[in-house]
Amino acid sequence: MSDQRILFRKAGTAKYISHLDLMHTMERAFLRAGISIRHTQGYHPHPYVSIPLPLPLGFSSDCEILEFGLVDGATVETLPEQMNRALPAGIEILDCYDGGLAFKKLAFVRYDITLEFETAQAEEGAEDFKALMGRESFVVQKKSKKAKAGFTEVDIIPLVEAVEAVRAEGTVLSLTLLLKAQNPGLNPDVLLQGFKSEFPDLHVIYTACHRREILDENKAPYR
Amino acid sequence: MDHKLEKILARVQKPGRYVGGEYNAVVKDKAGVDCRFALCFPDTYEIGMSNLGMRILYGVMNETDGVWCERVFAPWGDMEDAMRREGLPLYALESGDPVKDFDFVGFSVGYELAYTNILNLLDLAGLPLRAADRPDLAPIVVAGGTAMYDPEPIAPFVDIVSLGEGEDVTLEMIRLYRRAKQEGWSKAEYLRQAARIPGLYIPSLYDVTYHDDGTVAAVTPRDGAPAVVTKRIVTDMNRSYYPVKTIVPSTEVTQDRVMLELFRGCIRGCRFCQAGYVYRPVRGRDYELLVKQGIEACRDSGYQDMTLMSLSSSDYPDLLPLCDGLLDYCQPRKISLALPSLRADNFSMRLMEKLQAGGRKSGLTFAPEAGSQRLRDAINKNVTEEDLLNSCRTAFEGGWSSVKLYFMLGLPTETDEDVLGIADLANKVYYTWKTYSTNRSRGIRITVSTSCFVPKSHTPFQWEAQNTMEEYLRKVTLLREHMRNKSITYNWHDPETSFLEAALSRGDRRLADVIETAWRNGAKFDSWSEYFSLRTWLDAFAACGLDPAFYASRERGKDEVLPWSMISDGVKTSYLWKEKETAYQGKITPDCKVKCTGCGASKLCEGGICHV
Ligand code: SF4
Repeated sequence: MSDQRILFRKAGTAKYISHLDLMHTMERAFLRAGISIRHTQGYHPHPYVSIPLPLPLGFSSDCEILEFGLVDGATVETLPEQMNRALPAGIEILDCYDGGLAFKKLAFVRYDITLEFETAQAEEGAEDFKALMGRESFVVQKKSKKAKAGFTEVDIIPLVEAVEAVRAEGTVLSLTLLLKAQNPGLNPDVLLQGFKSEFPDLHVIYTACHRREILDENKAPYR
Repeated sequence: MDHKLEKILARVQKPGRYVGGEYNAVVKDKAGVDCRFALCFPDTYEIGMSNLGMRILYGVMNETDGVWCERVFAPWGDMEDAMRREGLPLYALESGDPVKDFDFVGFSVGYELAYTNILNLLDLAGLPLRAADRPDLAPIVVAGGTAMYDPEPIAPFVDIVSLGEGEDVTLEMIRLYRRAKQEGWSKAEYLRQAARIPGLYIPSLYDVTYHDDGTVAAVTPRDGAPAVVTKRIVTDMNRSYYPVKTIVPSTEVTQDRVMLELFRGCIRGCRFCQAGYVYRPVRGRDYELLVKQGIEACRDSGYQDMTLMSLSSSDYPDLLPLCDGLLDYCQPRKISLALPSLRADNFSMRLMEKLQAGGRKSGLTFAPEAGSQRLRDAINKNVTEEDLLNSCRTAFEGGWSSVKLYFMLGLPTETDEDVLGIADLANKVYYTWKTYSTNRSRGIRITVSTSCFVPKSHTPFQWEAQNTMEEYLRKVTLLREHMRNKSITYNWHDPETSFLEAALSRGDRRLADVIETAWRNGAKFDSWSEYFSLRTWLDAFAACGLDPAFYASRERGKDEVLPWSMISDGVKTSYLWKEKETAYQGKITPDCKVKCTGCGASKLCEGGICHV
């Protein structure tokens, strides 16, 4: 029998649950809901839960996926309701299904990104952002534990698949971007850091990132 | 969520601890609530959420209609800075509402080094620190917890001190408050009435006078307040509240597990141990009930670990059937069961083996507290060298290869010979391993830790002087010179926090100025090495014209009026004095099971008898 997946939302107070803590939270929620899931083989068996694309701390999302193996205690139909009663605020199971595309087929992520400026700089920010995206290349430094120098260099431009919307309103600039998901993918925080240091006259006081959708190579929803 | 808060959270470490929303967090409809209680823990979220007392009170209050209890913890420095910068006042986790708008602001105070955090929280809430500067009925600031058996150092900051176990008295206090609110009482009127509820001490109703030498001359109650306030206890643990359904933090906390409370109190009467006296008498839960509660708590939380809690688990009469009952449920589900606070005897060791069957053999921990039999007798720590070495032998034969031994230096009557007894005992543990280990190739790790003894109120040693820091360090050096075995590691706690703890834990009301001064000069999180600065405290004492040594390192006479003399835990002072004398004779006192020695705590029980 194949494994199962849940599609879930992570928002509100749950934005602040880290990836590792989320795994524990999910394992405990399965137990609370009376659902038994497949354990890994080997000397130290542990419950198998896997998330193809971890969500950075502080991001919200409408399209998180977790893979597990349903053994007992629920069906794919009853599981969402059972789990939703056992989860902390802000995590909501939207769907549960058998199978799913291989993790490596997850190709793009659609992000809604909000930048808040101290003053009404959104228009200016929008122009700067568009100009930046029009460049041939834009290399930023990215923190890396592996690299000797403590950072690596990435060119952001090829990792932005599309700029789908840019809306400026007073102090708030809203972007919808389609970013490469993996191998390599682009964390919008890296892009935002680069943007901010490139335009030091813009005073960004807050940024929020929301994953709206994940897509496969054909830009169909990845499930 | 508040947008200002979201902005702040983007920039602080571990933001998850500042938002609430955990599984089982209680959110009530404000329309149906007329009493809001901010239950504050003056330390981090991680530590506060590991406190069973907090969870019990939270549950008890939230089971009451019309009452909504929410949690508040001390924000770490980065969060505090951001809150102050952005003008975000202290809020409660469940609603996000400002703490200053609550009816009650209650502090759970387990240790004296949290005092500055209490002030910091009041200040972050935007409340005046001193009770006298808060004229309105709301909020009432109340404090409870083990440190409150000498509440005097923080007395001027709080309106009410709740003594002992809070399950019943908290609700009585709330009931009276609701009446006060309805009938429009003044705060003074409410406090006068509250003073009639057993277990509630109202500091503002007591005048304290001092002799020229700084000792207390008299503590005089006013307005009908009782001369002595006695702590409250839950008499029947089988009917008392246990939080089967409790909050499961979404982020990691210190005790991330089911905490099952076997019993309260302790039969042993170790003379240095405040908990052993102030929680008297011993009261247990039936094991069948515990098995049921443990299983339900696992089911509801999804926790895969459980700890059986008490002051001395080996003394639980039905420990075997309890463990069997729990193991039946836990083992097939791979839920681990931990049993700390075991005595060093063979029964306990066999039990450990059973609990850890198949699991990883983690380290063993024993607390002989003193190195020589003479001193162990003097402190009434009823463990013999033979017990200890036998337990080690069983452990080594079972494949254990790491032992931690905890001791105190500076216990009353201690001589250098007793100090060297620690090195001697550690060596004997080492030779036991050499003789009986089944797996010598893995080696052995023996860790010896010493801390500086802090004499506490309500114990037979409440009259004693603490060793000075110099004396403690001299003993540390002596011990170090005699621990040359490479398999033995010696760790000693620095004496600075113990010194402060000793000064604060037997203090009088004048210390409030010291605490406030230290806080104004930056003291907070004093139990954290990241923050603690003895200098700040010494300066604060000096600025207030007080000497910390007067409180920490001075022996008190039999007739001195102790600052906490109006506070009773049920144990007679004459009994404590007799115990002190018995200590100096090097004699032990039998435990409550062998023989009742008439400490006085039995009068707290129904029918006036302890059920040990
Ligand atoms: S009254 Fe007797 S049995 Fe009860 S706690 Fe005191 S000494 Fe122990």
